[in-house]
Amino acid sequence: MKNKTYKYVTVFLFLLPALILFIGVLIAPIVMSLVYSLFDLRSVSTEGMEFIGLGNYKELFTSGSISFWKALGNSMLLAVLSVFIQLPLALGLALMLGKGIKGERAFLSIYFLPVLISTVVIGQLWRKIYNPDYGILNAVVGSGLMPQGGWLGNESSALWCVFIPTLWQYVGYHMLLMYAGVRSVSPELREAAKLDGATDGQVDWYIVIPSIKPILRVSVIFAITGSLKSFDLIYVLTNGGPYHATEVPSTLMISMLFERNRYGMGSTIAVLMIALCFAFAIIINAVFKERDIYGKK
Amino acid sequence: MIGLSKKEENIMKLKKFAALLLAGAMTLSMAACGTGGSGDGSGASGAGTGGSSNNTSSEASGGASGGSSNAVSMENAECTLEMWCIATESDSNRHSYEAAIDEMKTEYPNITLDWEAFENQSYKTKIKAAVAADEMPDIFFTWSCAFLGDFVASNKVYCLDDAYQEYKSELPEVMMGNSTYDGKHYGVPLTMNIVGLFANMDLLKEAGYDEIPGTYDEFIKCCDALKEKDIIPFGCAGSETWCVTEYLESVIEKSIGADAMNDIFLGRATWNNPEVAAAVDTFQSMVNNGYFDPNGISLSNDEVKANFMAGKYAFYMNGTWNCADFANDANFFPKVKVAEFPVINSDKAELGQLIGGPSDTLAVAASSENAAIAAKYTFELGKRICHYGYLDGCGLPAWTPYGDTSSVNALTQDVANICNAAKAYVLFGDTAMNADEANTYLDYVAQVYGCKVDGQGFIDGLTKDIR
Repeated sequence: MKNKTYKYVTVFLFLLPALILFIGVLIAPIVMSLVYSLFDLRSVSTEGMEFIGLGNYKELFTSGSISFWKALGNSMLLAVLSVFIQLPLALGLALMLGKGIKGERAFLSIYFLPVLISTVVIGQLWRKIYNPDYGILNAVVGSGLMPQGGWLGNESSALWCVFIPTLWQYVGYHMLLMYAGVRSVSPELREAAKLDGATDGQVDWYIVIPSIKPILRVSVIFAITGSLKSFDLIYVLTNGGPYHATEVPSTLMISMLFERNRYGMGSTIAVLMIALCFAFAIIINAVFKERDIYGKK
Repeated sequence: MIGLSKKEENIMKLKKFAALLLAGAMTLSMAACGTGGSGDGSGASGAGTGGSSNNTSSEASGGASGGSSNAVSMENAECTLEMWCIATESDSNRHSYEAAIDEMKTEYPNITLDWEAFENQSYKTKIKAAVAADEMPDIFFTWSCAFLGDFVASNKVYCLDDAYQEYKSELPEVMMGNSTYDGKHYGVPLTMNIVGLFANMDLLKEAGYDEIPGTYDEFIKCCDALKEKDIIPFGCAGSETWCVTEYLESVIEKSIGADAMNDIFLGRATWNNPEVAAAVDTFQSMVNNGYFDPNGISLSNDEVKANFMAGKYAFYMNGTWNCADFANDANFFPKVKVAEFPVINSDKAELGQLIGGPSDTLAVAASSENAAIAAKYTFELGKRICHYGYLDGCGLPAWTPYGDTSSVNALTQDVANICNAAKAYVLFGDTAMNADEANTYLDYVAQVYGCKVDGQGFIDGLTKDIR
């Protein structure tokens, strides 16, 4: 009994530093955000803040001028594009490189390079690409195709112009995750399938992809939660403009917190973003858990 | 100044500055953001400074500056001060900061200044986060009026009343107005700037104009003539909405007059003013007539300024701090002239009504361990930054100029002449209003530039959304 207690105390003591860090860095700020979201807080000081209950949430969902629905819609669209364009691209590259083609290492490094470059640098780079006066995009497609106001200045084109580099930047990241999975698939399995007459495509579809399903699940979670949290590239390229066309919840949150000094409303958006990320992570886990890799319930 | 002796030149300059200071006095009497007007300036918002201005910094001033800072001697103090500002490598003011700091190092070797510069937009976020977290540097750059007012209302700023006594003769009280709240001083102004109408005279000559047109009708004819020559009249950065306000506010001011505009900006009148709607329509007609670069909506101010200097636009309306950059470009400088925007409605407005005033300010954190020393250091540093900034052409001096100022570039001297003839000033709208209202206002300004709302929509929206 004494030994058992001693063991628990030891485990607890070893876990304590990580627990303190976890609570201090993650849990406490979430709780504080939750508390602030219930107050009308419009100053850097908490003095004089007024408890308004769910007032901020109500205003967020009903106020036309805050355009939260628009921001949420943009995020969801980005999430859909991430899952249906970014991840298939990454999977295709991972499967291709996983076959051990010539220059595999070099291609890996090249595809992964955008992940290593600072997002601000990438943002500035793409700003130059879209520049209406000297941008390379106009040189390629011709300035006649450029919409009124420029690629980033037109409401209908700005959203796509922001999404393209956002999706492009992280293709390499997901590719690397999937590539690790593809390389871990036993060569014997591949050879056995080949001996049975399977084509390369069939090997990938029936052997490799089911084997890396846990990694695909992680990639889908990262892609969707990453889309909901997307901020830096959009901030650099358009800062949510023109006329909120490229607004996402995080740019809206920054605007509320640091441009409008509406700390209560900013906290409300932060809480909703956290809740959405958790909800999606749970849903995706549930979807992937439904069948295991051998297709059994 | 050909034919004048050095002494006569100096006398003329002194006269100019006396007139300038009178203009400054007018500025602040009109803007009334400060003394007694803290409520006006930042407090129109209720939740902003105004709501809390009654308790504004009585603790900060009482507590932090309780021990008279006059008793503090910088000569004997050994300490390190930290400063944040926006004078990045590419900023026009960079040289003035570097020169001033070098001079301070020589004069006060016992005080070490660790300073960092941040990009303008990100600095706004950074300083607010630092204030909220009580992690402010000893000295920080800020914009006056509502921006600083919010920090003051939160008791985060050190009161400079004691330290100011020593500098009263060099820094006129009127220049302190925009950083004065409930009669207490919280900021050291650096330079003051107005919105100037800069023109590329080479392009104007191509359209048959040797001077910037002085009347609105002539001005519009000039724009049409420029268009006929395939020259874009205006460049305006739509991705930074404050650049659009430089145009729109000038058009509104020259349509409804400075008094009416100040009343609206300072919350003494509502936006529900048909004359404002008409002025906005006037601005929008300029956009619809193709006077503005259609691609400007996606460009940053740096890009638009570069285009103007490269000869793409005939006119560029922006702050007079740009004089420094224009003067530093030997090829471009001979081509550029500055004037004020012409009067649109002479029944309401007149020449000499300008947009601008002293806004760039240094302040001291109430949480600074060496606040009293930092206060004195800030005044000394501010004086020098103002001096070198004026010499570089980054703006007009908020402080009484000293030393030889004969090297000030001709463009800045022209700006000084415009200010000498100033009759009234209206502070930049996004500085005069509190953060929430300013951003609502900027949202609508962006929509006006993009022709998403017309004049009526603009005033209806602002009347509804600004409390």
